[in-house]
Amino acid sequence: MSASSSAKANQLSSRFIYVFVSLYFLIPLGATFYWSLRGAKDVLGFEAYRKLFADTNFLPAFSQSIVNAVATILLSLLIVVPTAYWVTLRLPKLRPVVEFITLLPFVIPAIVLVFGIIRLYSRPPLLLTSTYDSSRVLLICVYVALSFPYMFRAVDNGLRAIDVRTLTEAAQSLGANWGTILFKVIFPNLRVALLSGALLTFAIVIGELTIALYMAQHTLGPYMADLTRSKVYEPSAMAIVAFAITWAAMGIIDFVGRGATRSKTKVAID
Amino acid sequence: MSYLSISKVTKQFGDTVVVDDFNLDIEKGEFVSFLGPSGCGKTTTLRMVAGFEIPTSGKILLDGADITDKAPNQRNVGMIFQSYALFPNMTVAQNIGFGLRVRKESEDMVKQRVEEMVTLINLEKHANKYPYQLSGGQQQRVSLARALAIHPQVLLLDEPLSALDAKIRISLRSEIRAIQKKLGITAIFVTHDQEEALSISDRIVVMNTGVMEQVGTPFEIYNFPKTRFVANFVGSLNTSDAEVLDPAKGLVSMDGVQFEAAEGTDARKKGDKVKIAIRPERLSFASEQKKANVMDASIENITFLGSVVRIQVKIGKTKFNMDTFNNPFLELPKIGSVEQVTCSREAVLVLDE
Amino acid sequence: MKPNTNSKSVNLTVGGALRPPRIPIGRWLGVLPFFVFSGLFLIAPTLVLAYRSLEGPDGGLTIGNYLLLTSETVVSSYGMSIRISLTTAILGGLIGFLIAWVVSMGGLPPRFRLITTTFSGVASNFAGVPLASAYVFTLGRVGVITALFKLVGFDLYRTAGFSLYSFLGLTIVYLYFQIPLMVLTILPALDGLKHEWREAAENLGATPFQYWRDVAFPVLTPSILGTMILLFGNSFGAHATAYALTGGLFNLATLLIGQQISGDVLHNPGLGYAVAMGMVIIMALSIFIYSILQRRSERWLR
Repeated sequence: MSASSSAKANQLSSRFIYVFVSLYFLIPLGATFYWSLRGAKDVLGFEAYRKLFADTNFLPAFSQSIVNAVATILLSLLIVVPTAYWVTLRLPKLRPVVEFITLLPFVIPAIVLVFGIIRLYSRPPLLLTSTYDSSRVLLICVYVALSFPYMFRAVDNGLRAIDVRTLTEAAQSLGANWGTILFKVIFPNLRVALLSGALLTFAIVIGELTIALYMAQHTLGPYMADLTRSKVYEPSAMAIVAFAITWAAMGIIDFVGRGATRSKTKVAID
Repeated sequence: MSYLSISKVTKQFGDTVVVDDFNLDIEKGEFVSFLGPSGCGKTTTLRMVAGFEIPTSGKILLDGADITDKAPNQRNVGMIFQSYALFPNMTVAQNIGFGLRVRKESEDMVKQRVEEMVTLINLEKHANKYPYQLSGGQQQRVSLARALAIHPQVLLLDEPLSALDAKIRISLRSEIRAIQKKLGITAIFVTHDQEEALSISDRIVVMNTGVMEQVGTPFEIYNFPKTRFVANFVGSLNTSDAEVLDPAKGLVSMDGVQFEAAEGTDARKKGDKVKIAIRPERLSFASEQKKANVMDASIENITFLGSVVRIQVKIGKTKFNMDTFNNPFLELPKIGSVEQVTCSREAVLVLDE
Repeated sequence: MKPNTNSKSVNLTVGGALRPPRIPIGRWLGVLPFFVFSGLFLIAPTLVLAYRSLEGPDGGLTIGNYLLLTSETVVSSYGMSIRISLTTAILGGLIGFLIAWVVSMGGLPPRFRLITTTFSGVASNFAGVPLASAYVFTLGRVGVITALFKLVGFDLYRTAGFSLYSFLGLTIVYLYFQIPLMVLTILPALDGLKHEWREAAENLGATPFQYWRDVAFPVLTPSILGTMILLFGNSFGAHATAYALTGGLFNLATLLIGQQISGDVLHNPGLGYAVAMGMVIIMALSIFIYSILQRRSERWLR
């Protein structure tokens, strides 16, 4: 077989495989979208979406999730960035320990983790689950810990890309203290990495079910689960909305990430 | 008839002509270098011989057979890559034996040939090591052995030394040349390093933006460059604008200073604007030995480069570099003084504007 | 945090000997919150479970609970989890590898790769309630595909005995996030295949098949195997999707733990903790094997 005809056969089978597998992924989405348009009897429309947004339980659940997500992201950033920075520059021996810890959320699945959290914090002396709000704070803390793998990896890659050691030495030789270095030199140059870590965390927290469920929190996850049991068409609208939000988050990460690789050598000092 | 014949080969990518009308006949056992800057088409031409690119037009004949359109795994050429391209999951011995096993040679044959090759490249103690355990130079030698194991008709080397340290580069290139001579194998060597090309080639093809500028022995290319590009690219050169005074006598005038050139003015008329070029090592002090051309020069700067002393002089209005061998017992002139410098008629190259 | 312009402590070395011998406490402040959070919310809860799993009915330490892991309820739910995880790991691995190959070296236009990676990121996050309800709408009793099949006279549920809430159903659903995980993880490995290897192989006379058989696949095997093991762990520990799909009433290890949290269905708290720790052990094993294989493949694909 000559070079060009085998390449063409290659392309043909590639396209075939791609189309075939794409169908597997697109059909459920299509079916869900189709269902979401059947909210009103015999009419194709956005009735289901309207009912969804009108549901008295939706907005509170949605806003709770958003607030939880934002709190998680901010807290996680505040913890992970200094950690990654210090481990890279001053405490390289701690790196294996830190990387081991970032493996823990995988080793300890959510269902097991919530089991342990409840066992540990629902009895004195560490009673943190007595009120809804204290449980909520606990939930956010757990989410922060669960975000560590993604945040750390994103920040670590970002630090590597900007050669943080040299930047720090340059700043120090100019007389800057740690606070200045962190906030005026490191953070601004990590914008892209931080954004991608934040968006990943956002996507994870916003629809999280397992932990929120067993901690009796009224966030989007448990709300959606309730919806599937109580309503017929609204869950499909919910699924489409969830898909759209996740797609937007991932799209932003990729879009911003592409711009970053182009300007990898450009470094800003705010 | 020549062993490898590349005739009227052109390669186009869309509207861009990457190789334009390449013609070369290579004898069996010859070591030819393709020399030129990045993007000049040397690698593309090599890859057309290997079969990784197909010429847009033209023919390539190897030992009489037309291989222009043959698939790369159907030609009997061995290729060495800049990045070594050793198979990471195989040992040195397995890498070297790969081509033979593909040709379904007997295991005994393979073992024997691999041993031969490993001895040839002096890596007997490393035969069972994996590529990641070897240095860059060692990996490239394995790559060479792997290509030679299949008894190729031609050896193609694509900038094999560019990824290596300077010292290894020098020792490995002589090793490659020695092996090539010993086996009598025809070789094409692609490089952008003119010192490399000059030191090991039988002939050099200088290329620039897809075009062959000149073909010749290292001696010819260096001493008798035919175009300004070749003169500039190979070795260093002093150049200056000049005007033809007397075509028959080879007289040109630069800033009023007269130079007599041995050739290059025959086809010109009086008043033609040209460029003259003189190699730094062809200028010397007239006090040592007077040659055909004698000029007054003021000493501008002296740089000590180790074995060479580079003296910057001004002749007329133009600065020239003059290279002389370092002689600790020779007194160098003072900066600012005026001395007489000389060069032969042959040293003066007359090139187009 | 004290500003530290002391030139001695500013001198950094890479993982080697550090001077001065006494490390100022300020340096640890930066990493302290990280360890505190991990300790409080990851490690401590797990330790509690571990401790309690070793607690006998009378309060002493015993491994009796672990011996009870062979009881029927536990075995059947673990067995189902393992079956589904093995199946989705292998299928997801193969299909994911195919797609990754198609998109990186299959001759498709480059934008397909970006679409695929973005979508893979989305799909792997789609897991949980949205995914479960999407499949109810597709393959559920009144789902779109079920209805389409009925139109051509094939009753999925009655004639074929199919149910979305079964081993087969869960496998189909789980693949939706397993395949993308495989794609995203294996793409860098495929990128690591140097195109010069293929050219060198061709130059030495090999056909594309021989190249894949003798060079490419052997080099990729640690990555592929490792990622499949990752997929196994991912499926084994998955809870949300199964819960959303089945209401928590299916025979699965994670759902069993969920039931145990809501009410002591095993009638033995110690056993409940042992079940949870058993899962941790399996997950730890899988990630351990994965990292060993990762390291091996990195050596070759550097």
